[in-house]
Amino acid sequence: MCTLPEPRRLPGDVAMWLFILAELTVFAILILAFAVTQRLQPEVFALGRAQLDTSTGLAMTYSLLSAGALAALAVQQVRLGRARRGSVLLLGAWLVALVYVWIKLTEYRHLIDAGLGLERSTFFTLYWIVTGFHFLHVLLGLVILAWLGWRCWQRQYLAPRLSGLESGVLYWHMVDLVWVVLFALVYVIR
Amino acid sequence: MNSSVRLWLCWAGLMVLSLGTVWSGAAGVVVLLAMVKGWVIVDGFMELRHGPWKWRVAMLGWGLVVLAGIVGLSA
Repeated sequence: MCTLPEPRRLPGDVAMWLFILAELTVFAILILAFAVTQRLQPEVFALGRAQLDTSTGLAMTYSLLSAGALAALAVQQVRLGRARRGSVLLLGAWLVALVYVWIKLTEYRHLIDAGLGLERSTFFTLYWIVTGFHFLHVLLGLVILAWLGWRCWQRQYLAPRLSGLESGVLYWHMVDLVWVVLFALVYVIR
Repeated sequence: MNSSVRLWLCWAGLMVLSLGTVWSGAAGVVVLLAMVKGWVIVDGFMELRHGPWKWRVAMLGWGLVVLAGIVGLSA
């Protein structure tokens, strides 16, 4: 007797995956524009990057990735029928992600106070555009996590109808994926 | 392996790899670590390890293309 392999399942809604691909394409263009300009003006970028604190970038990375892990754990708990536990994990993800927002806003304020605004140099023009665009996505992700947490608490997501929850959490993972590349490119690569 | 344990391992791996990124600083290593981190997020958090291969290729391919572009332009 043979057993058929389990069909490969795509978590979430296909529309969310298409949206994620579209978002990733936009980010790819911005990231490659940053890399091309860095190639053309290496001194300007080295000077600009020296103004950024790598440990701050690392702290933001930890915040975003930890929030992603908590959100993924929340999905698992809801699948097991533990909606309230999932809701608490989503609240945890939301709070941990808030740390990123606080650090990023502190960094932005510090840069503005130091006169390192959008028009300071090509590096900072691209820095503000790329990280600002990503920051807006984090803010939207926070709204989504809060909404998912509230819906979980109300036991609105019951297995196997978890497409909405999975799609919302996938959006957060997309934000994480982009940040992994941004962190390397903007803060670390010398 | 329990799926929660797997997720915690993914998280721990990402923390260590991020620290390695800062510690190394060398372009080639940083890009390689970013690639591994992207792979952990796609397969672990986004659960594409057992998902349809076309979506998996698309997501992993994004990271590969972008990071290859960065390496190519930095060389």
